[in-house]
Amino acid sequence: MQLVDIHQVSRSYGPIRALQDVTLSLEPGTIGLVGNNGAGKSTLLKILLGLLPPDTGGGTILGFDICRAARDLRGRVGYMPEAAALVPILKGVEYVTLSGDLYGMPHRDAKRRAHEVLNYVGLGELRYRRLEEYSAGNVQRLKLAAALVHDPQLLLLDEPTNGLDPAGRQSMLRLIDDLISETGKSLILCTHLLGDVERLCEQVVVIDRGTVIRSGTMTDLRQRIANRFELAWQEPEQGRGYREALTAAGVRFTSSFDEPRATVVVPDDWTTRRFFAVAGEVGAVITRLMPEEEDLSRVFFRVTDAGAPAPIVDPPTQDVAHGN
Amino acid sequence: MGIDIAHYHGWNGKLHSPWWGSLSIVRVAMLQVFRRKSYWVVIGLGVLIFILYWSLIYIMTQFEMGARTQTDVFRIFGFSPVPTEDMDNGYVIFMQRESIAVMILLAFSGSLLVGTDFRMGSLTFYLSRRIDRVQYIVGKLLAVSTVVAMMTVLPALVLYVEYGLFTSSTAYWRQNWKLPIAVLSYGAVLCAVLSIWLVTLAAYLQRMAPIAITWSSLFVMCGQLSTFLRESSDNRDWDLLDPWRCMRLVGKLCFGTWQHPGEETRALWALLLLATTCALALAALVRRVRAVEVVT
Repeated sequence: MQLVDIHQVSRSYGPIRALQDVTLSLEPGTIGLVGNNGAGKSTLLKILLGLLPPDTGGGTILGFDICRAARDLRGRVGYMPEAAALVPILKGVEYVTLSGDLYGMPHRDAKRRAHEVLNYVGLGELRYRRLEEYSAGNVQRLKLAAALVHDPQLLLLDEPTNGLDPAGRQSMLRLIDDLISETGKSLILCTHLLGDVERLCEQVVVIDRGTVIRSGTMTDLRQRIANRFELAWQEPEQGRGYREALTAAGVRFTSSFDEPRATVVVPDDWTTRRFFAVAGEVGAVITRLMPEEEDLSRVFFRVTDAGAPAPIVDPPTQDVAHGN
Repeated sequence: MGIDIAHYHGWNGKLHSPWWGSLSIVRVAMLQVFRRKSYWVVIGLGVLIFILYWSLIYIMTQFEMGARTQTDVFRIFGFSPVPTEDMDNGYVIFMQRESIAVMILLAFSGSLLVGTDFRMGSLTFYLSRRIDRVQYIVGKLLAVSTVVAMMTVLPALVLYVEYGLFTSSTAYWRQNWKLPIAVLSYGAVLCAVLSIWLVTLAAYLQRMAPIAITWSSLFVMCGQLSTFLRESSDNRDWDLLDPWRCMRLVGKLCFGTWQHPGEETRALWALLLLATTCALALAALVRRVRAVEVVT
């Protein structure tokens, strides 16, 4: 069963188009949802949670129809919001119990589970403290516990490391990593921090201006840049023959500076051996040849800058006269 | 064997209907109200009024005094254990006295119970669970209604039971069975109107100061204006401007005694007025609690 299977999903807020013909098919696993502010992540999250019906299109999450079985869907999804979303005056264990109650758990089970998951996320000692006394890092852990209380199949985490210091961020990422490894739950991680996605996710969805511009496994995205190399060479008498010979053979230089090293993009039918063949023809000696390793942030900037559709205005976040 | 807290454990239970979530919202709201120490000043005021009436009934029933004296003492406190032509249902009057404390408590707690959900993003927390906005709204309305009922209806019924007990006869309860129904009717009107108005107001204004100012103005200023216009024009129709009088008139539609000519007609107008304002407020509230605002 596919984790996410949505087709041609569009959503507008009045004249403003927030999502346009989004089609996604994702296997269970860990998925990073990345995009700039106003890219349409929030609208997609709402649709994935079953909180907002799409104008057109449809599909299923965990096999539940996003339009007709939204409530059942939310029973299988644990959502951790980006906002503080705390209920003042409550204690930690009461907050997580309330979360379980709202998911529909029997109150006694919700209470027992609240203790269990608070222990699991490392808040066992703090569970009887009032929420106002929790630090930013502990609030994030608490919200994770509240999302976990009903033992969901899918965790939907919205900026889980937002506002945390480096140590807190590492600690939170380690906790999520351990949880996913131990339980095998699926994860959709919505974040601006691409490092978090690299650390936790096997699949990535890049969304920009209301459309999905890349979707696939991290390996797939990196395979797209397999034809990029870092190249350094030496030539007799500081000549430029090697650069010109490679250019004539269809190799593109991405760096323009006039030095004997560069990042190059080779044609699809290029073989590594041809670097050496061309070098032999002009008398150059290759001193470095490495396939370029592109991190997710470079992938992100490359794909969001290239092939962008017509600009779409950022969707508003409040007081819009649409709902489910 | 110790509890394994280092590893994750699953849960395989069955999920209940989301309507149970509304009751959880009520339970949590009670925790929030009764844990805030400053609210106990207002709750204490309500308890004092209750103790005053409780003591009055105790003294009137346990000490020998003539019927005339008893009536006079009751009149001083505006209380009548049985409806008479010139005195209203004493329990309803007691509830009106308690309404002052209720009004103050709601003015301060509206922000805590509802405003913070919008201001701090807790609405996200509620609506991303299995409940829909209908259950959320019902939960919040029930929460405010529970506060109102605990400070008005419940003590009024206790006083009714007390009077019957202290007269050492079931005759009082048998002859005045309509009194608790009137109390419940008036209480239902109070709960419905106050909860809908407060939750809507708090959803829009969110912070305590604006809510408290608007809420107090609504009841105090409208009441004053109503009294001024009624006395200057000698027309009781101006009573409809006063929310408390409107609620009392509607409450009287169920087993109330009519004291003034045309009061029954005014009660119907009051019902229409309250129903209209409540419908408008509910529509505004539903609009506010839109799923589109959940994830921002």
